[in-house]
Amino acid sequence: MTRRITLCLAFLTATLLSSLWGQALSLPLKPGSVRFAVIGDNGTGGKEQYEVGMQMERYREKAGFDFVIMLGDNIYGGDSAGGMTKKFEEPYKPLLDAGVKFYASLGNHDNPNQRFYKPFNMGEKLYYSFRRGKVEFFALDSNYMDPRQLDWLKKELQNSDSAWKLCFFHHPLYSDGKFHGPDLDLRARLEPLIMANGVNVVFSGHDHIYERVAPKNGINYFVLGNSGELRLHGLKQSPDVAKGFDTDRGFMLVEIDGDRFYFQAVSRTGETVDSGVIGPHPF
Amino acid sequence: MKRTIKPLISAVLSVMICARIVPAVEDADSTSVRDFEKRVSAYVQLRKSIESNLPALKSTRSQEKISSQEHALARAVREARKNARPGDIFTPEISARIRDLIGGAMQSAGKRIKASLHQAEPVHLRLRVNDSYPANVPLQSTPPSLLTNLPPLPRQEVEYRVAGHDLILLDVKANLVADLIENLLP
Repeated sequence: MTRRITLCLAFLTATLLSSLWGQALSLPLKPGSVRFAVIGDNGTGGKEQYEVGMQMERYREKAGFDFVIMLGDNIYGGDSAGGMTKKFEEPYKPLLDAGVKFYASLGNHDNPNQRFYKPFNMGEKLYYSFRRGKVEFFALDSNYMDPRQLDWLKKELQNSDSAWKLCFFHHPLYSDGKFHGPDLDLRARLEPLIMANGVNVVFSGHDHIYERVAPKNGINYFVLGNSGELRLHGLKQSPDVAKGFDTDRGFMLVEIDGDRFYFQAVSRTGETVDSGVIGPHPF
Repeated sequence: MKRTIKPLISAVLSVMICARIVPAVEDADSTSVRDFEKRVSAYVQLRKSIESNLPALKSTRSQEKISSQEHALARAVREARKNARPGDIFTPEISARIRDLIGGAMQSAGKRIKASLHQAEPVHLRLRVNDSYPANVPLQSTPPSLLTNLPPLPRQEVEYRVAGHDLILLDVKANLVADLIENLLP
C-alpha cells in the first residue's frame, strides 16, 4: 500500500516537474524589445483551440507579449455571432481581458467582412500594415493577390524605414506540408518583391503543421497552421525542413531586440518544440 | 521588271491588310473592356446607392451586426436586380476576351496556375447570379497570374473568384454573385 502511494506521488511529482520544465521560456526578455505571439488556422472552436489559448495565457504571464498576429482561417464554418464567440472570444478570453490585441489576416475559410470585426484590428481593410517599435508588419490578403495589392506592398515596403519588415498571410510560399504545400503562383509574384525590398521574415498558415523552413534567398519562412486544426504527421521529409512539428497543436512566441529575432514554438501541452535566434541582422 | 513589282505589290498589300486588321481586333478588345468597366461601375454604383439607405457597415465588436448588415445588403441588391441574368456584366464579348486572356496566362504559366488552383483547396459548387456565397464553403483564392491578366476591378468592391470551373464576379461586401462565366477554368 505504502509502496503504491509512493509510486503515485513520484508519478505526480514527475508530471508536475515535466509540465513546469515544458513551460520554460527561451526568450531573453530584453527591456524595450518587441514581443508577440503567432497563431494560424485556429478558429475551430474545438477543445484543443481552447487549450492552446490557455497555454498562450500561461506564456503571456512570463513573456509579457501584448499582441498576437493571426495567419488566417480565423473562423471556420461561417462567422455567425455565436461562432465568433465560441471560436475567438472565449478561447482567447484571458488574453483579451489582459488587453492583448489581435491583428488578423484572412484565410480561405474567412469571410472578407471580418475586416469590420473590431477585435481583429484590420481597420476595415483586406490588407494593411502596422508598426511596433522598429518592426513593421504587413498583413496581406493571399486569397486575392491582385496587381493593386502588389503595388501597395511595394510602395509600403519602399517607404518603410523599419529595421525589421515582417509579412504575414495565409497561403505559404514555401511549405513541406503534405496536404497543400507551397503556392507556386503566389511565390512567383510575391517573392521577387519581398526579396528586393528588405523583408526579413514571413509567416503563413494553411498547412496544419508547424514548419521552420530553411532560409530561402535570405528570407526566413515559418508555416504555422496548427493552432486549432491539425494534420497529424502532415509534414513531408525534406532537406528544406529546418524544424518541424506535426503531432499536436501549437503557437509561436517572438521577441525582436535590436538586430536579433528570437523565436520559440510551443505545443498545446506547453512543450517547446523549436527555438532559436535569427540574426544578427545586417541592417 | 514585272517580276520584281509583283512580289512588292503583294508585300505592300499584306502590310496594309495587317495594319487594318490588327487595330480592328485591338479596337474590339478595348471596346469590350470599356463596356465591361462601365457595367461593373454601374453595378457598384447601384450597390452603393442601396447601401446608403441601410445602416453603414463599420468596424464593430458585434459580429451579429456585421452579419445582419451583410444579409440586408444582399437582400436589397437581389431585389433591385431580380431580373439579372448571366451575361449582364460578363457580356458575350468580354467573356470571349476573358477566355483569351486566361488562355494566354495558361500558356505562359499554366503549370503553376494549375498547381495554385489545386493548392488553394478547390471547391466544387455551382453558383447562380444573385446567390450568396455559402458561409460554410471556403473561398478559393484566385491565382495572381490570372488577376494580372484580367481587366482591373474597383478596389475591395467586387472580385474575380473561382468556384469549381466557373469564374464568378463576387460582390465582397454583400457576399453576392453579381455575374459569372461558366466552365472557364481547368
